[in-house]
Amino acid sequence: MLTYTLKRILQGIVTVWFIATATFVAMHAVPGDPLANQRATNEQIQRNLEQRYGLDRPVSEQYVVFLGGILRGDFGISFTQENRRVNDIIRENFPVSATLGILAVAFAALGGILFGALTALFRDRLPDLVIMFLVILAISVPSFVVAAFSQLALVDINVYLGFSLLPVAGWGTLRHMIVPSMVLGLGTMAYLTRLMRSSMLEITSSDFIRTARAKGLPPARIFLKHQLRNAVLPVVTVLGPAIAAITTGGFVVELVFAIPGLGRYFVEAVQQLDYTVIMGTTVFYGAFLVSMVIVVDLLYGWIDPRVRVE
Amino acid sequence: MIVANDAPVLDVSDLCVEFDTHGGVVQAVRGVSFSVRPGKTLAIVGESGCGKSVSVQSIMGLTPMPPGRITRGAARLDGVDIVRQKIVNGEDVRGNRIGMIFQDPMSALNPTMRVGDQIAETLQVHRGMSKRDAFARAVEVLALVNIPDADARARQFPFAFSGGMLQRAMIAMAIACEPAVLIADEPTTALDVTIQAQLLELLEGLQRKNGMAIVLITHDLGVVARVADDVAVMYAGEIVESGTVDDVFYRAAHPYTLGLKAAMPSRETSKSVGLMPIEGAPPDLFRPPAGCGYAERCPHAMLVCGPHRPQRVEVDPGHHAMCWLHHEDAPRGTDAVYRGGRA
Repeated sequence: MLTYTLKRILQGIVTVWFIATATFVAMHAVPGDPLANQRATNEQIQRNLEQRYGLDRPVSEQYVVFLGGILRGDFGISFTQENRRVNDIIRENFPVSATLGILAVAFAALGGILFGALTALFRDRLPDLVIMFLVILAISVPSFVVAAFSQLALVDINVYLGFSLLPVAGWGTLRHMIVPSMVLGLGTMAYLTRLMRSSMLEITSSDFIRTARAKGLPPARIFLKHQLRNAVLPVVTVLGPAIAAITTGGFVVELVFAIPGLGRYFVEAVQQLDYTVIMGTTVFYGAFLVSMVIVVDLLYGWIDPRVRVE
Repeated sequence: MIVANDAPVLDVSDLCVEFDTHGGVVQAVRGVSFSVRPGKTLAIVGESGCGKSVSVQSIMGLTPMPPGRITRGAARLDGVDIVRQKIVNGEDVRGNRIGMIFQDPMSALNPTMRVGDQIAETLQVHRGMSKRDAFARAVEVLALVNIPDADARARQFPFAFSGGMLQRAMIAMAIACEPAVLIADEPTTALDVTIQAQLLELLEGLQRKNGMAIVLITHDLGVVARVADDVAVMYAGEIVESGTVDDVFYRAAHPYTLGLKAAMPSRETSKSVGLMPIEGAPPDLFRPPAGCGYAERCPHAMLVCGPHRPQRVEVDPGHHAMCWLHHEDAPRGTDAVYRGGRA
C-alpha cells in the first residue's frame, strides 16, 4: 500500500510538471504581448518592463526560471495588477473556490449515490421514473441556466416569505454556500445517479447477492454490507474526473453568484495574457486536481481490496 | 423409501414454478415432488434447463419474483411449509436450517468482504453471536473444511483464494450454523476433476459427522453414482423417475433414464463404438406438452403418450417412474424397458 501511494505521488508530480510545461509552451505560442496595453510610452520603458518580468531573456532561460519558481512555490508577480504576487491572489481566492468545489462534489457524490440507490430499489415505479426524468433534465441543462433560474426562484421565495431564507448571491456564511454548490454539483450528481442506478441493478442480480439471500441475511444488511459497497465502486472511479468537471464549471457559477473565487482571476488573466497569473493558477489548479485524483485512487483501494495488492 | 420410520427432513410436494417472459409464460417446474432423509444424499439429475436449479432456488426464495411465481406446492422442513414463509419461529430458515452452495464459487462470494467475515455474518445473524465470537467460530469452520492456515485465510479477501478453496469456503459458510439440509446446486461443475473428488469427499465426511441431509443438483452421473443414496431424474420440469441409486442405475424404469445411461461414455466407447446421444431436444416449456414430455424423443412412445400425462407408478417399493409403459394395461414384452429395465 505504501509503495502504491508513493508511486501514485511520483506519477502526480510528473503530471504536474507536464501541465506546467504545456502551459508555458502554450503561453509563449499565443500571439500578442502581455505588456501591450501597459503604459510603455517609449522604448526605454518597454525595455525596463521586459527586464522586470524577465521577458528579455531567452525562452529556455525563462522556462528554467519558471520551473525554479514552482519548486520554491513562487509563481511570480502579476503582469497586469501592479506589484500583486500570484501567490497572494491564489491564497486569497482559492479557499473560496475550493470550499465551493468540495461542497459541490460532496453534494454530487452523496446525492448521486442516494438517488441512484433509490431509483434502483424502486425500479420502473414512480420514484424511479420521476428521478430519472429530473436526471435527464439536470444533465441537459447547462449550469449557468440552472444558476439563473435558481436565483430567480430564490428571489420569489424570499419575497413570498418576507425575509431572506437564503441569499441570492455573495459569499461569507454557510447560507451563501448552499445554493451555488448545489447548482455547481447538479450536473455531476445527475450523472452519478445514472451510474449508481445501473451499477446497483447489475449488483442486484449478481451471484454474491444470491448467496447473501441464501444465508438468510436481513434485506437491510444485504443492501448495506453487500450491495452498496460494491455498487459504489464505479461511482468512486469517476469521482476524480468529476472533481475536474466541477472545478472548471465553478468559474461560471462564481460569476453568476458573485463569489470572490479564483475563477474570475483565471478568466481575466487569459483575456489580458497575464503570463504569470495564467501559469500560476493553471499549475496550481493542475496540482490540486492531480492530488484529488490520487486521494480518490487511494480511497478506491480502501473500498476495493483487489486494487490494494498491486 | 428403504427405511420406513426414517421421516424425511425436507419434503417437497407438487411444486410448480412459472416465469413471465417476453415470449409468454414458461412453466419451468411442473409438479415436482421429492424428499430427503437425515444423513442421506438425494441427487437431482437432468439436463440443462430441465428445472432442477429453479426447483431448489424457488424453495429458497432465490428466484426473482416477479417475474417468477410459485403457483402450487409445498416444501416442508420438519413438517413446516417454507415455500411462502421463510421465517419459522422468528428465524429465517435459510443459512440456518438449510444451507446452500452454488455452482461458481468465484462469483458467489462478495469480493469486497473478508472471507471470515462472510462466514461470521451467518453466525451473527442466526446465532446472535458477537462479531468477535462469530469470527473465531468462522476460523474453526474454515479449518473444518480443510483450509490450511485458516486463521490467516479468514482475514483474506476472496480474490486471494483458488476456485477449490472458495468452494470450500462456501461450504463453510453454508454449514456454519449446522443446518439440517445442505442444498448443493452443481457445486463441482466449475472445478477440475481432482478438486471435484476432494470436495465430494469433504461433503461426505461432513455428512457423516453431523448427519445433515444433502440435496445435490448435478448433471454428472458419475458424481451421482459416487455420493447419492437416492436419485431423482428430472426432465422438462418433472421428475420422471426416482428411487435409490441402485434402482435408478441398475433397474432404470423410464426410457429417459435408459437413454441417459446409454449416452454415458464407457470404457468401450471409441471410434468404432461411438457415443449414443438422445436424439431431438426437450419440449418447449412455453407450451408444455399435454402428455409425456419425453414422448417425442422416446423410442418406446405409444399413442397414449402424446395426449395423456402418465401417472407416477411405483415399479418397486420406493422406486417410481412417470411412464405409460408401467401402467397396468401397458403391453408386456421382452424389451428391457417393458420389464422395468430388469435384465
